Amino acid sequence: MVRDSKHEVLPGTLNLLILKTLDTLGPLHGYGIARRIEQVSGDILELNQGTIYPALLKLEQMRWIRTKWSTSENNRRAKFYFLTAAGKKQLAKEEEEWQQTSAIVTRFLSPSEK
Amino acid sequence: MTSAHIFLSKLRALFQKRKLEGELADEIQSHIEMQIEDLVRQGMSPEEARYSALRKFGGVEQIKETYRARRTLPGLETLFRDIRYGLRMLRRSPGMTAVAIFSLALGIGANTALFSVVDAVLLKTLPVEHPEQLVVFEWQSGRPFRVSGMSGTSNVDVPPGRRGVSMFRYDVYQQMQKAQATETGSPLSDLFAFGPMPEVTAKVGDQPDVINGQAISGNYYSTLRVEPILGRAITVDDDRSGAAPVVMLSYQFWQERFGANRDVIGQQLQLNQQSFTIIGVTPPAFNGTLQVGFYPSITIPLAVEPQLRGEKSLLGATSASGVWWLNVMGRLQPNATQQQARDSLNTVFQTAGLAAMPPPRRSNQPAQIESKDYPSLIVEAGSQGMMDRRKSYAPTIYGLFIVVAIVLLIACVNLANLLLARAMSRGPEIKVRLAVGAGRWRLIRQLLTESLLLATLGGIVGVLFAYWFKGALSVFTNEESGLLPSGVNLILSWRVLGFTLAVSLLTGVLFGLAPAWRATKLDLNSTLKQTGRTTASMSRLSKGLLVVQVAVSALLLVGAGLFIRTLHNLQHVDLGFNQENLLIFALQPDKAGYKDEQLLRFYEQLLDRLDQLPGVRGATFARVQLIANDNFINDFLLPGETAETGADHETMRQMVRENYFATMEIPLLRGRGFTLRDDQHAPAVGIVNQTFQQRFFPSGDVVGKRITNNYGNRQVEIVGVVADTKYESQRDEIKPLLYTPWKQEAADIGDMHFAVRTTGDPATLVTQVRAAVHDLDSNLPVTDIDTQSARSEMTLAQERLYARLFTVFGALALALAGIGLFGVLAYSVSQRTKEIGIRMAFGAQVRNVIVMVVCQGMKLVLIGLAISSLVGYALIRLLNSKYFGPNTWQQRMKGQLYGVTIGDPLTLVVIASLLTLVALLACWFPAHRAAKVDPLVALRYE
Repeated sequence: MVRDSKHEVLPGTLNLLILKTLDTLGPLHGYGIARRIEQVSGDILELNQGTIYPALLKLEQMRWIRTKWSTSENNRRAKFYFLTAAGKKQLAKEEEEWQQTSAIVTRFLSPSEK
Repeated sequence: MTSAHIFLSKLRALFQKRKLEGELADEIQSHIEMQIEDLVRQGMSPEEARYSALRKFGGVEQIKETYRARRTLPGLETLFRDIRYGLRMLRRSPGMTAVAIFSLALGIGANTALFSVVDAVLLKTLPVEHPEQLVVFEWQSGRPFRVSGMSGTSNVDVPPGRRGVSMFRYDVYQQMQKAQATETGSPLSDLFAFGPMPEVTAKVGDQPDVINGQAISGNYYSTLRVEPILGRAITVDDDRSGAAPVVMLSYQFWQERFGANRDVIGQQLQLNQQSFTIIGVTPPAFNGTLQVGFYPSITIPLAVEPQLRGEKSLLGATSASGVWWLNVMGRLQPNATQQQARDSLNTVFQTAGLAAMPPPRRSNQPAQIESKDYPSLIVEAGSQGMMDRRKSYAPTIYGLFIVVAIVLLIACVNLANLLLARAMSRGPEIKVRLAVGAGRWRLIRQLLTESLLLATLGGIVGVLFAYWFKGALSVFTNEESGLLPSGVNLILSWRVLGFTLAVSLLTGVLFGLAPAWRATKLDLNSTLKQTGRTTASMSRLSKGLLVVQVAVSALLLVGAGLFIRTLHNLQHVDLGFNQENLLIFALQPDKAGYKDEQLLRFYEQLLDRLDQLPGVRGATFARVQLIANDNFINDFLLPGETAETGADHETMRQMVRENYFATMEIPLLRGRGFTLRDDQHAPAVGIVNQTFQQRFFPSGDVVGKRITNNYGNRQVEIVGVVADTKYESQRDEIKPLLYTPWKQEAADIGDMHFAVRTTGDPATLVTQVRAAVHDLDSNLPVTDIDTQSARSEMTLAQERLYARLFTVFGALALALAGIGLFGVLAYSVSQRTKEIGIRMAFGAQVRNVIVMVVCQGMKLVLIGLAISSLVGYALIRLLNSKYFGPNTWQQRMKGQLYGVTIGDPLTLVVIASLLTLVALLACWFPAHRAAKVDPLVALRYE
């Protein structure tokens, strides 16, 4: 809580956020993913929405997600992303890694530490 | 795994660029629109919402750029762009592009076809499991080591003065095999033997046929690990004395003579009148392990070889000591070395070899030999079967390679010249690009892409040409030319295509680099000032290349000229007998069991019948076929000499019917000819040729003299002298020749060559002659039936081949050089349009312009000719010097010439004129175009 209420997305965490979003909400288009990330963070995260597209491309190249053109809720053609089996595995792995990392960092920062 | 995923998807993206680009735009579009909708719903004005949505999204172009970079492979994408650009540039000058591709294709095609020969003859390994484990055994010894008899050819590399042999005697092999089998921890898993059996008479159905066969040890197939495609293979049990005679067919023989009938297994096959049971068919890819060019149609176990060959058995299993004729190979244990294999058997071999040495024949030979002359084993890699004869084809192949490499070089010069011209005309464009900061490397890469493109296209078309050349090359593999082994299958295998690819890429880089380097080296300051119209018309480099082209084609054409003259001389050489209207054929009644009285009666009856045939003036026969590289040599003693004192005199031999000289039209010079009375009961007589008389009786008369024929140890009285004839070939230096009447040579007339003198075209008598033989004995095959003149032509196959080869490649080189000259001059004229216009405006005549352009081209041609004569002179000096030993292929190539010297003036003059003529033609068209320049148009140009 230094000087501003807005935060950059932590490097490396965007993949995790995208995978988790797709896991929670199922198939979703790029805009939906971007909105969801903003909403869940309570609009604290400052996200250049466009940056999720290169990230999505990378996840697709890794075969963690697949794409499909389809119609959105308000009848607009959009590219939908959905998780593959490999993607689910990757999500579980990254979640666990994140838990560990944050646990370590938290322990360092907690007042009980002598 | 994942990086492979990424690479694959990036590669895919390369080919879907347009589609993916569209999708990306659509996706971003819909994203922004959805955002706008949401914002409007929240109460923003559409204007405000659009602004806010774009701000939230971030820089659209920036995102797209990041996305693109991640989507695909940037390096590859540039390459694709270069290729597309290069193709566009090539399309812009289709004429020059076609010339370059066509030139390269000819060069690369010829090289590919030749490499397929190298592959088939020198590189291909046997189609068996682990061919690298196979080894071939050979041996070497000092000259004093004596052998009981030898059959076969070997070409083993040994120090001079020593004997190198690849054949073994059966008993020697057996001792080696036993030693190997009983040794514990032997470096070999097994040892096997095989020997060729040429000229076996096989009777399939009604028709007798002469085929090649082989005899093998029982473990042959099991050690090689070759499985028959039908029936079973010969085993150790078939290779015991007393075993039932069995035979395996080669796939090809089975296809051709049995119509691939699967019921042949268990049937009987008549071989030399003996019955053999067919037990299996060998696989199509496996032609055996014998010398290249010898592909046996049938295979029998060694143990039954004596049944097949009878008295002429080479096995020595019965009374006679055997002959050295078997090839021996083995399979190494995994991890064992060739040296270990040699060492493990050398002692056994040496002992067996020395035991097999016959007692001395002459009193001056020692009974025992020194240990340095003992035979000792050699082991060589056997992955290709017997290699020693293959190696002998290497000189021819390398000679051919030099020729086709030269053709490729000339083709590459055309490519380089095209690229140079193109680079110069693009000078201004390149300068501008350099000036605005394009990297030099980037530009070179662009230009290299173009030359590689040309080379690749040339390579692809070249492979098509190679198919065609290959057909032409297989002419070389017929038996008569002997230039390449017969029956070799030329295949464009992956190795061959890999070679083509390598050659194409290499030519593309090598001959594209120099022009690209030059083009991008331009000094910015000076070139930007120029307008591009007044650059030099022809660079020094491209002039130099043209000179080289002319010089090289001149050398090739001189080669062609020399071989054409050689062929012509040989075709018109005086043979000493009349070869027109002569039908020839061969019979081998001894193989069908004829001997002694029966054989004489058979010949008498047959010759009588042939004499009676309508259209026949006379029929005769002789032991040795003329002009067919065949011979028969005897030692003999002059009057007064004894076996101990006599020097080694040799004479060629011929056993003939009494009417031979009259029928062949060989003049009798002195004494008398043979008569019917010179038969087996009469005293032995002989007739000699003129050279015999001159060589051995230079002062006195030979008629009435008695010589002793060492062969058979008989006294022969010479009763006449006949004129000299060519004997083995047209090239023959005439050698002494002794004729004897056939009835006095009963031991040597089992295999005779007939000659029938006809009144008309001899080819029309083929059917009657066959019928005459068939009437007497339907089991006897008539072989080699042909006219004598066709037969003589066949003997010249190699010469004809060289002549044709050099002519084709020389003409190709000439055409390529002509095209190159034309192209460069035409380009130069187009660059000099303005200059020519000015000249004409100042009063130059059409004639002056033409002379100017022609001179420009001819100057280069004359320099090229001058250089080629210098190089040619140096080559002759080199050949005549001691640098090349007497038996090198360079000398053998030179030895191919006949009746013409390597510096033959007529050839040189004709070739120089031909080249000049073609060059004038190539200069004429550009000159003509230059003359049509309209000064007004030219000056307004640009």
